[in-house]
Amino acid sequence: MSPELVVTGMGVISAVGQGKAEFASAILDGKTAFRVMQRPGRQRESAYIGAEIGEMAFPASIKRQSLRAASLSAQVALIVLHEAWGEARLSELDPRRIGLIVGGSNIQQRELEQIHESYRDRSVFLRPTYGLSFMDSDLCGFCTAQFGIRGLAYTVGGASASGQLAIIQAAQAVRMGQVDVCIALGALMDVSHWECRALRSLGAMGSDRYANDPALACRPFDRDHDGFIFGESCGAVVVESFESSQRRGLAPYASLSGWAIVMDSNRNPDPSLDGEIQAIQSALGASGLSAEEIDYINPHGTGSIAGDETELKALRACGLTSAYLNATKSLIGHGLSAAGTVEVIATLLQMRAGQLHPTCNLENPIEPTFNWIKDKALDHPIKNALTLSMGFGGINTALCWRRHKDLSHFVMEGTA
Amino acid sequence: MTKMEVLDLIAKHAREILPDLHQYQFNASDRLVDLGANSVDRAEIAMLVQESLGLSVSRIELFGPKNIGDLADLFLQKLHVA
Repeated sequence: MSPELVVTGMGVISAVGQGKAEFASAILDGKTAFRVMQRPGRQRESAYIGAEIGEMAFPASIKRQSLRAASLSAQVALIVLHEAWGEARLSELDPRRIGLIVGGSNIQQRELEQIHESYRDRSVFLRPTYGLSFMDSDLCGFCTAQFGIRGLAYTVGGASASGQLAIIQAAQAVRMGQVDVCIALGALMDVSHWECRALRSLGAMGSDRYANDPALACRPFDRDHDGFIFGESCGAVVVESFESSQRRGLAPYASLSGWAIVMDSNRNPDPSLDGEIQAIQSALGASGLSAEEIDYINPHGTGSIAGDETELKALRACGLTSAYLNATKSLIGHGLSAAGTVEVIATLLQMRAGQLHPTCNLENPIEPTFNWIKDKALDHPIKNALTLSMGFGGINTALCWRRHKDLSHFVMEGTA
Repeated sequence: MTKMEVLDLIAKHAREILPDLHQYQFNASDRLVDLGANSVDRAEIAMLVQESLGLSVSRIELFGPKNIGDLADLFLQKLHVA
């Protein structure tokens, strides 16, 4: 039998909070931070709404010098890795047995666009560092150098499923014995105005309908949804065997009991009911859980009309109509490459808190019969959770999480 | 432009790339590698100086100088040719 895989450390940053404590309290309070985006390179003849990370607090151990040449994606990666690293006490391990999987591809588009703009008329003086930084794998080099990681490190790309894909890849690396501990990083997707423009033209990103009221724009599963709203985020999740966690006396957040990756044979952005059903059923099958045993679902739920509808049909077809359901993206926006990881973190923080966060702007659910958490948080000790991600190019991923037996005392204390 | 001015420019950009050197007093005999600049840092510093001087020096030629005094001489020589 394969060893039980658990999560022993997490780090997170989003527009509503840096660090698990701030993030958990923000999502349970239903806090949001949507506005017309301000970061340089995000707008051109546009007023795209999104949720951007504010001022960041860097751990003292991170040298100023390393931040100088670090992109926004790299800076937030350092922050969340530092948090997860400390919590899982990874300094106690042999660095050759620690791995890092970075979820996301083409994650630094805004940063690159800024450089191209800046050097357009003086290309001979382009900074040599660009030769490193234009590759996403620069994040692997940058982060492994900061933390002294000597096991494997590489990137995996699966569009908006990249964050879950990274967790699956980390779990597989541990299960195969390539490393003892593997960190999955859902990298911040730093979109420029170019990506925003095309995502909107594709019909994926929300329209200007709420231009005068940005707080209302992000509304997954609501009848008035019309596309996703971008949100910057980044998360790190430490995966290892339960046995390995016990050698350091750690209390795991949850067990990763099953997962699935299913392709739709479809290059396009449109979702596939069949693909989603297959992914859910395969993950449930791998985890040995029945649909009735799942009591909480963290759906992909972007706010896309076709995506939201298809996902609820898939849940219904799989018999998942009684579990509680909310939409983390309604609070923090869609982190694209980061979403899958950050939403797993939101799920496990809710599990530890014994509470489920509200869903912002869910006034008239497109399917009212589901067990929605709408405008208020709800006390509920999650036993088994299902988290879902879907990405352009027909990728569907599903992860099943079981409350770990050691978690009971956290729920009684109500700590987040 | 004098050699001292070019040296000051090298020092300015070295401090930009290596903030830990913000109070360090540079000497012509200093080697950037000894001051903690790795190969990418050195390439960045050389590029920033070239841009400040409006010069473009080939990467091969930049391998010659053994310290920042030599580097300043190379840039001065290129300035006079230009």
